[in-house]
Amino acid sequence: MTRACRYVPLILFVFCGLWVACTQTRNPCLVPKIATFNIETVHLVKPADTSFTDTALPAAVFIPLAKVDSNVGTIFPLQSIFTISLSPDTNFCRWAFTTDSFRNEFDTLSFYYQRDLQFISNACGFTYFYTLDSVHTTHNNIDSLFITNTSVTNNVNTKHLRIYIKPQL
Amino acid sequence: MSIQSICGYTLNLSFSLMLIFGSCTTYAQTTDTVAADSTSLQKVKKKDLAGHQLAIGIDLVHPVLNSLVNDRFGYEFEADYYMHNDLYLAAEGGWGGSTVDYSDLKYSTTNNFFRFGFNRSLLTRDRPTDWDMMFIGFRAAVADVNRSPATFTVLDSVWGSRPGTAAGKNFQAIWGELTGGMRVEFVRGLFGGLNGRAKILFNGKSFNDLSPLYIAGYGRGDKNVAFDFNVYISYGIRWKRRNGADATSNPVPVQAIDKQQ
Repeated sequence: MTRACRYVPLILFVFCGLWVACTQTRNPCLVPKIATFNIETVHLVKPADTSFTDTALPAAVFIPLAKVDSNVGTIFPLQSIFTISLSPDTNFCRWAFTTDSFRNEFDTLSFYYQRDLQFISNACGFTYFYTLDSVHTTHNNIDSLFITNTSVTNNVNTKHLRIYIKPQL
Repeated sequence: MSIQSICGYTLNLSFSLMLIFGSCTTYAQTTDTVAADSTSLQKVKKKDLAGHQLAIGIDLVHPVLNSLVNDRFGYEFEADYYMHNDLYLAAEGGWGGSTVDYSDLKYSTTNNFFRFGFNRSLLTRDRPTDWDMMFIGFRAAVADVNRSPATFTVLDSVWGSRPGTAAGKNFQAIWGELTGGMRVEFVRGLFGGLNGRAKILFNGKSFNDLSPLYIAGYGRGDKNVAFDFNVYISYGIRWKRRNGADATSNPVPVQAIDKQQ
């Protein structure tokens, strides 16, 4: 049995290391905790035309509405892809949008969706995923909308909505 | 602990297991070669001279770990019964639980578990009363898990945090294990042993609506693969076989048995 005893310290060390590696108090959360709604904006070339160009907006602004203590928006300089979030409180939320921070004419984007409570992990906790029903808008800057994906999860690479900006803007 | 570190530990584990099994295989081959030279010795080898043994043990690792971590606890027992030809039936059980008390997630779980399988000794006996062994084995395991209602908060910097609750749930966790280790008889009937375990969870998807932080007997409930180890102290109860083999008697030289036949 002396042959086997030679390996005891090595085995003990290996398994202690494995155990410590697998039983930390709380692992860091390595995935997004909030479902992200990703919007792509494109410019129509001509009115009533289907062709468009992918042009970055100079300083687009998104402001969450109907939230008492939050009327501060986010300015996105020179981007054509924007990330916002949907409200986990209700099945409906609104965002104000304009193509440029110097522009006073906003559009209101209204999102209607179903919520789905989702457990990510013990490290990240719970969040909500959403299934988009419809999106409505006013038409100060926006010509039209196209929903490209109805499933809103914490996958940051999925685009959910394409906004067609009026040609003159 | 980074993924690279875990991979490093896994490589160390694989290498050490290769060393262990390699040395055992070499020893077994040497013994077989010697036995093949003598027909009478082959006959003796087929006859299992060891008696029966039922070993009952308690795990020492988890009670120590219980005192080091606050969010989980577990206790484990084991029993194995020697059948024949270095094959042991093994049964293990225990209980435990966990308490999650994070700022955005709170719940607790308790569970008991049962494992059943076999161990195969990799070492050839020096004599019938040699019960030391290095072994490899498999287990099928099931745990009954009781999870309390959970309270949680969905954090959102734009729309504000939203609290919620998730109902409690009872469910089963089923997994399989590959285990290996060693056991040494320190004094007559009293063993010390070390087990390493690699576990694969089969039905993790059935409770991924809120995977428990810890399932006693398995490990992290949100992982499909887990590693664990035990240090057992156990006591072996022995009795004679019907054919007259007596494991408690003094060792009988193999040559003497050959001459009697």
